[in-house]
Amino acid sequence: MEITGQYLMNLVLNGLLIGSIYALMALGLTLIFSVLGIVSFAHGEHYMIGGYVVYFLLETFTNLHPLLAILAAGLVTFLIGVLFERLFLQPMARGEIERPGEYAILVTFGLAFFLQYLVQGIVGPHSKRADRFFDLPSVDLGWLTSTAGTLKVGGIPFSASRLAAAAIAVILLLAMIYFIKRTWVGKGLQAVSQDRNAAAVVGINPLNMNTLAFGLGTMLAGMSGATLVDVFAWVPWIGVPASSKAFVIIVLGGMGSMPGALLGGLIIGVVESLGSGLLPDPGKALAYKDAFGLLIFALVLLVKPTGLFGRKL
Amino acid sequence: MKRVPLQWILAAGLFILALAAPVLLKDQQYWLFIATQAYFWAMLASSWALLAGYAGQFSFGHIAFMAIASYASGILGRDLGWSPVSGVVAGTLVAGVVGLVIGYLCLRLRRTYLALFTIAFAEIFRLVVNAEIDLTGGPLGLYMDYLLDTTSYIPYYYLMLGLLLASLAFMYWLASSRFGLFFRSIREDEVAAAAMGVHIVRYKILAFVVTSMIAGLAGAVDHHFIGFIAPSELIIGRMSLVIAMAVIGGIESLIGAALGAIFIHFSLEWLQQIPVPASMMPKLIAMQPMLEKIGLGVGERGIMTYAWRMVAFGLLLMLTLRFWRNGLIHPIIDRLFRQRVRKETVAKRVQAAEVASPTTFGGTEGR
Repeated sequence: MEITGQYLMNLVLNGLLIGSIYALMALGLTLIFSVLGIVSFAHGEHYMIGGYVVYFLLETFTNLHPLLAILAAGLVTFLIGVLFERLFLQPMARGEIERPGEYAILVTFGLAFFLQYLVQGIVGPHSKRADRFFDLPSVDLGWLTSTAGTLKVGGIPFSASRLAAAAIAVILLLAMIYFIKRTWVGKGLQAVSQDRNAAAVVGINPLNMNTLAFGLGTMLAGMSGATLVDVFAWVPWIGVPASSKAFVIIVLGGMGSMPGALLGGLIIGVVESLGSGLLPDPGKALAYKDAFGLLIFALVLLVKPTGLFGRKL
Repeated sequence: MKRVPLQWILAAGLFILALAAPVLLKDQQYWLFIATQAYFWAMLASSWALLAGYAGQFSFGHIAFMAIASYASGILGRDLGWSPVSGVVAGTLVAGVVGLVIGYLCLRLRRTYLALFTIAFAEIFRLVVNAEIDLTGGPLGLYMDYLLDTTSYIPYYYLMLGLLLASLAFMYWLASSRFGLFFRSIREDEVAAAAMGVHIVRYKILAFVVTSMIAGLAGAVDHHFIGFIAPSELIIGRMSLVIAMAVIGGIESLIGAALGAIFIHFSLEWLQQIPVPASMMPKLIAMQPMLEKIGLGVGERGIMTYAWRMVAFGLLLMLTLRFWRNGLIHPIIDRLFRQRVRKETVAKRVQAAEVASPTTFGGTEGR
């Protein structure tokens, strides 16, 4: 196989598309970490649930607009996150739990285990895949051609589903950044992540901010899954590779860093795309696609555990 | 004459029950097989309890170590013609060496970072096993020679029971020796332990090596018994199961974790098909379409539960963590054998200090 500039460009651009969704998911995880100080090992399961909510909504209400279904998925995963935080994580913040660090790891891992099999019990183990959310208009401008399912710019093909998912992800990312940086509640979240006691002194309830941050984090995971249910075949354990990607990204970008999550997501998207596109044996390349990110991950953890933008340990 | 305490009678009863099981289950080879598997899980869960509950290294790579030994032994047998026994020995050593390397790499990592790193390690291992078809057989799995020249389950049963008891005895010896004290000190406070002169590097690595070797030994022997290993055994759900077993049994108790594993393994097998009386079966078959809608099914003898049995244990795992930090089985043992000594653990005192000055929560966690 000859490697041309166009082929490389194709890999990089498609990597950026998928990377923007990784970034959205990682932003959720990094938000949870920066406010609650924990990593949720159930992040992939919220992603999985978001996808299923959209799939079943669209299957039940065939006229429903996919964007509304994605919003509904966000709401459902937000509520799951809030409920779990109130029941299982808040006792930690109130000091009712011995060894909170170990508890947080195990209880979110337990949640992942529970949700994975719960969904498998409800929907069964067979894969589901939603129809394409949006069809592109048919256009032929020579350098730009499009059919319902693919857009070709200068010979580089993009799948319509992935384009739509990436567009939604970018909008959500911008909305989230606006919310955190500009609104009062968002500033409250930042304040709690910087100094809980000082935030409490100026009238921010850290416990409520914990719940909000966890709910928003799981919501972002749910919505990233929701945008991808027409791209991948959905199974109850689809969240496992997705969450390991989110782990890779937040460690690479630095735990708790928002720009780190965004940049890390794009980097991992491109690395995966290049890695699997450039390996000579296509069978192995596909199998190793997820391993590239994990390899970077192991290296970052060993060489520079604070990541690109991390706070000092 | 001194009265024999009740708890020793109970313990002896359990032991005799385990020894007599092949006779009691004479016509039920299937349950003998399940019991053998239960001991395999008990070895995994108790060694994980030593690593996590004693030494505080919350590793998610335990299943990977188990599989490394099995694959090493299987591949040595297939390509170099090694006998299963030498394969098991070699596999256990390989698991120990990999444990040494991983333990060394993890020295700087604590808690969340360690958990993340070991998950990454386990996933990479699973992906490699899946991809390297020439070496491992890929998703189709690898056939392994039988360890013993027999079709009966009984010798395997005693072998596995013996290995479980030996590894428990060894781990108890380790935990009650100086090593155990050092392990615990590392879990409670690494910096303070180092300041008191505990050689952190040595004991962290030792914990990894010992527990990986026990997991590897269990895995290699078990897969030479089943005769087959496939990467589907390496999914994260199996690791969750080991954790559920250890937590529900009692993460700080080796015997608790082992009993938890045995209890959960038997429960899972039994729950696979909940038996109903034969007279109820026609009614059940009439309800079949409704049951299938909610993910249940109807088998020959009762209700098939499929994924729902795991849901039950997932929920139990979370509730145990939240409300019974010492597990469900360990407190019973504790009550029978120790009569509430050791109530005030270091952890409790640390917690009391933290409640007094609640500044430590948040930013400092998860390093």
